[in-house]
Amino acid sequence: MVKIRYILLAVLVVIIGIVVVFYFLPSEEKKVKKQFRLLSEGVLKSPEENAFTMLQKMKNIGALFDEHCELKAPSQSLSGSYAREEISTYAGSTRAYFSQLDLKFYDFHIIFPERAVAKVTLTARLTGRSTAGEQADETRELECVLKKIENKWLFSQIEVVEVLKK
Amino acid sequence: MAVNNKIRQFFFPSLTPKFLIRASSIALFAYLFFGYLCIPFTIQGISMEPTYRNGGVNFCWRLHTLFSEPKRYDVVTVRFAGSKVMLLKRVVAREGEQVEFRDGGLFIDGKEMKERYVRYPCNWNLPPRRVEKDCVYVIGDNRNMPMENHHFGQASKSRIVGVPLW
Repeated sequence: MVKIRYILLAVLVVIIGIVVVFYFLPSEEKKVKKQFRLLSEGVLKSPEENAFTMLQKMKNIGALFDEHCELKAPSQSLSGSYAREEISTYAGSTRAYFSQLDLKFYDFHIIFPERAVAKVTLTARLTGRSTAGEQADETRELECVLKKIENKWLFSQIEVVEVLKK
Repeated sequence: MAVNNKIRQFFFPSLTPKFLIRASSIALFAYLFFGYLCIPFTIQGISMEPTYRNGGVNFCWRLHTLFSEPKRYDVVTVRFAGSKVMLLKRVVAREGEQVEFRDGGLFIDGKEMKERYVRYPCNWNLPPRRVEKDCVYVIGDNRNMPMENHHFGQASKSRIVGVPLW
């Protein structure tokens, strides 16, 4: 009877251990998702934001990207390879256009086609209010490629999926 | 007394195995039916007015397009982003056909189409373009807005999810 109790206790400890490892040790998928969360935090803007926070956020956004990142968003007139600094500047000017901005990501589908490369298909929703008071609410499907460089997942390609081609 | 018992039994049934099996079967059926076959959705936007009003509720019936090709003038739901964001549009041309707008009139292969569902004035002009293989050309019924603000164009057939139930 005592033996069975010990076995049950051991099984319970193993199960708890597996759950703890699964939830608390970040898998590669979680690390990739974290980059999107950081991008979301970088884009987030409230009307009370000061210049220091703005500069810090621009820098943070830039740090999430590879030295050169391929952007394909014909509807936003963005197409080609952009340097990290250019992306940072572009993000800054876009954020300056809005008084309030929020970017959220949903429906993550992550695959690892090769080592240190992650391909992510997801839904992005951008909501906000321009400084002129216009409301913005855009939802798009994105295809992103992230590369693991020096143990950090960095955005190396972002494409806005063109569902309807005029 | 018997009626009272029946009413009580209806609202507060005893948790017998039979009841639990019945309740889980209904829940499973509802999950599969409303999750995969007949998906409820709300209409946001005015691009299909007056046929479908902003704020309306409908169901996307998937079996219709699962076993047959979308036909001209069919209203279909097109998967726009993830699995939840869909566009409600009308098929106006199929693969291989040439689409064109002249002073608001829709021309397919050079022939002007009679579109009874278009009730509002339209002045669009769009040079001719051919619909690619495995695609259909979809447009909203409300063309009383600048062409740039209206989501329309060629969509891959694989993105068509179903048709609205009514």
